[in-house]
Amino acid sequence: MFDFLLSPVPVRSDIVDVFRAHWAHLASPGATFDAHERISVAAAARRTGVAAPSNVPASVLQLASTLMSDPAAVDESLVRSTAESVGDPMTVETIAIVSQLSAVDGFHTAMGLALEPFPIPEPGHATGEITPGLKRRRTHVPMPAGPIPVALDLVPAEGLAMEALAGPLYMTYDEMAYDDFKRTPGLTRAQIELVSSRLSVHNECFY
Amino acid sequence: MLRESAISFGHDLNVSAIKDPSLEAGIPGSRAILAFVDAVYSGIGTDNARRSVLDELGPEALVDACGAYGNFEMMNRVAEGTGIPIPGAAIERQADLIETLGLNRMLKH
Repeated sequence: MFDFLLSPVPVRSDIVDVFRAHWAHLASPGATFDAHERISVAAAARRTGVAAPSNVPASVLQLASTLMSDPAAVDESLVRSTAESVGDPMTVETIAIVSQLSAVDGFHTAMGLALEPFPIPEPGHATGEITPGLKRRRTHVPMPAGPIPVALDLVPAEGLAMEALAGPLYMTYDEMAYDDFKRTPGLTRAQIELVSSRLSVHNECFY
Repeated sequence: MLRESAISFGHDLNVSAIKDPSLEAGIPGSRAILAFVDAVYSGIGTDNARRSVLDELGPEALVDACGAYGNFEMMNRVAEGTGIPIPGAAIERQADLIETLGLNRMLKH
């Protein structure tokens, strides 16, 4: 898993490690989905079909597919209608599964590599670990006040998973403290942010 | 943030290049980097674009570029999915950038 044997260049070990850890996370029961359902949501995002029948609601699969293929088309109406159907926590977990999958798949696509097959789901029931007391702040879903790292905090495990991926793929919080951060050897922060800025233009996203 | 990091490296950033990659951005390797992002996003010319980054900036830089690409695929979707608002102060601070890049229509949250 994530051996990168066909990679055109060596892949940093921190990226390999975080991808393996993330696949274990994807294959584990989440706050509102069991692991099989989580893989079903991911499969809907990839549009590869579902390996086996699941009980995932159609509105969730539709949100997953749209968010992966056309993120700019996801608006408050779509997210709120999903949330009214299945609840805010399941909606946030769906957004998290798809967003995090897009990081892993986006890296592979950029490297010119085949996508990693989905992991085998672990047994067990949804954990129900949800942050209480959050409210919408002119946002599509409830979240604490703060910048984008808190956006998934209604489901704490998903907020942590997003942060775990962002460090190796982009910059850790410590590294982001320096405008003149540079990977040696590798890209400077300015070059890294050129990538993110241009992609955000394509995705029609201000971030 | 790109503007601040460019300044810290002594680059004379031309933000218009983010919208129009035919322009020189003022950051070393920018043409190869922007062409790489465009190629991966469109799925057209990816082998050549990847080779340009590799030849011009090195194998570690290619991995870094792929990492940044993957991370912002994630961040863009988190932003769109959750509708996290863009702070008014950030909009004010970057008003000229928003104007230059034609980002007003993206400020939908």
